[in-house]
Amino acid sequence: MPDKQNKGNRNLLSWLTSMRFAIYLLILVGAVSALGTIIPQGQSPAFYLYTYGNGTGAVINLLSLGNLYQAWWFSLLMLILGLTILICSFQRLRHARSLATVGSLVFHLSIVVILSGAAWSLGYARSAMVEVAEQQTVALADYGFGSGQLTLHSFVIDYYPDLQPRQYISDISLTGYEQGDHHLKINVNNPLRAGNLKIYQSNWGWMLKIKLTTNGCSTQVVDVKDYDVFPLGSGEDNAIRVVFLPDYAEDQHGAFSRTSQPNAPCLGLSLLQSGRAVDMALMAPGEEAQMGQYSFTFEDFSYYSGLQLKYDPGVTLVFAGFILLLLGLLGRYWRLLFSREGD
Amino acid sequence: MAEKLFMVTFVMLVLAVLINLARLWLPVSWLDKAAPLPMYLTAACLLVILAWRTADLGRLPLANMYEFSVFMVFVILLGYFFIRRSLTAVEFDLAVSLLLTLLFAMLASLPSDLRPLMPALQSRWLTAHVATAIMAYSAFAIAFCLGIIYLSRTNQEDPSLKVIDRQVYRLVVWGFVLLTLAIITGAVWAEEVWGNWWSWDPKETWSLVTWVVYAAYLHARRTKEWRGRRSAWLVVIGFLVVLFTLYGVSILLPGLHSYA
Ligand code: HEM
Repeated sequence: MPDKQNKGNRNLLSWLTSMRFAIYLLILVGAVSALGTIIPQGQSPAFYLYTYGNGTGAVINLLSLGNLYQAWWFSLLMLILGLTILICSFQRLRHARSLATVGSLVFHLSIVVILSGAAWSLGYARSAMVEVAEQQTVALADYGFGSGQLTLHSFVIDYYPDLQPRQYISDISLTGYEQGDHHLKINVNNPLRAGNLKIYQSNWGWMLKIKLTTNGCSTQVVDVKDYDVFPLGSGEDNAIRVVFLPDYAEDQHGAFSRTSQPNAPCLGLSLLQSGRAVDMALMAPGEEAQMGQYSFTFEDFSYYSGLQLKYDPGVTLVFAGFILLLLGLLGRYWRLLFSREGD
Repeated sequence: MAEKLFMVTFVMLVLAVLINLARLWLPVSWLDKAAPLPMYLTAACLLVILAWRTADLGRLPLANMYEFSVFMVFVILLGYFFIRRSLTAVEFDLAVSLLLTLLFAMLASLPSDLRPLMPALQSRWLTAHVATAIMAYSAFAIAFCLGIIYLSRTNQEDPSLKVIDRQVYRLVVWGFVLLTLAIITGAVWAEEVWGNWWSWDPKETWSLVTWVVYAAYLHARRTKEWRGRRSAWLVVIGFLVVLFTLYGVSILLPGLHSYA
């Protein structure tokens, strides 16, 4: 009996490490990945029931096909891929003599390296969006990134002559972080790097400074982001919503902004009661508007920059895997690629 | 002027198809000699079109679907001239000219206006990423044409099968290495611009599917039961996946790559 079992194991192992299995596994990985682009990802379970009907929708929800790449069984599939490659490579180790066979081995193992890096990121990567106004400093600890201070000195939008944005540039400094201090102008495609922490230029908007006086006595100055709702804090569920029109203009449909450049800045301020707009005013900088027991002064406006913080220790391993992948491939196919007679 | 040149190119391609069709029925030597002429003229026209656009833009025209496609038609032509030195067959000329005519006709539906680069595209990785993708897809396109010819020759004793199989293999290896480079440069770029080297965006995912299909081919060629016709099918399917990655995804499954 033990003998038979052994043989069964060996047959299973030799099947798992056969070329045939590799082909089916590859086709399966391709088919499953493709499925995730055909079924919309990240929707609610109700969406799938509604879109695909109760039967198919239930299957989609049961197998997490709506979050396919995050599903446990997808990770399992990747694990199986990695493990079979490892076993295969181990078996072929003895025969690795020529450039081609060593190349093939390096190439296959680099896939395991990349998968490991991805798994590492899955467990340890963290990211957060931070919206910082010009001249403002935020503490990284508030976003779960240990010690350090992030300051936005200035934010600039560079335009093409036809007023399409050419580049978004944030002049930032990072101080007190473990990797030392940094002061850098970052833009799209050019993040700040401090070890495994990177800071990306991600988006931008307007920050509006508003002086708020309640009942003619208590006064405060608040910073509100464009489109945000700011609660006024009194018992009656009052709030304001601000909309900034940097280049104010009017036509028969109402007010709008001609461009995104502050040529004719104007603030639209709505007073909300229980979420419903009850009053509204348009103000140029320095102007004041009276609404109910409140008075508002549009003090100033500036940019805020949306910066994405990302800490990801797995990326280094993944990129090392990329280099190995290329070296392995070149080794495997050197003769075929670069010599006349080929393989 | 550019439009006229475009028309001329298209007429040349159609002419090439017609000549190659005629060669199937009329095996006369002057037709065989004339066959490559319109293809050379097509390449010359495309070179002028691309040079023009490069001068207008002040950079290589590699930033959108239209520029990608014109470039790809040109690179497929170059690859075709290269392969043709060692493999001559009427069906090959016909298949390539037909494919290029279809690709070129499809180009007419793409927006061709000159646009400045949006911030996300201003990267030193753009050229490397797009150029390797174009070369990879061109190699796969030619392999596809040869794969179809392989499958159309049903006599398994035909000695030409071995020659074709060999060329397909070499093309797929070139394509596979270049596609690996394209995916890696894309991933490194994505990490730099979005902070994520892989986000399962549809275009990204389908390029992985393409990669996996050709990896399956490379394995298939080394097993007894997959060698020959079955692996030739993988090469044909592979290019259909390429076409879907290039055009189908942009039309049906927009994602982060939606500007392309
Ligand atoms: C993403 C997964 C994989 C990729 C991209 C890949 C790619 C490749 C490539 C390009 C070759 C060279 C083929 C040739 O031209 O002869 C190869 C060969 C080979 N692969 Fe894979 N492979 C993968 C997974 C696997 C798995 C899972 C196994 C084991 C079950 C495996 C076993 C082999 C073997 C035994 C060879 C032949 C040795 C050689 O040619 O170097 N591969 N693979």
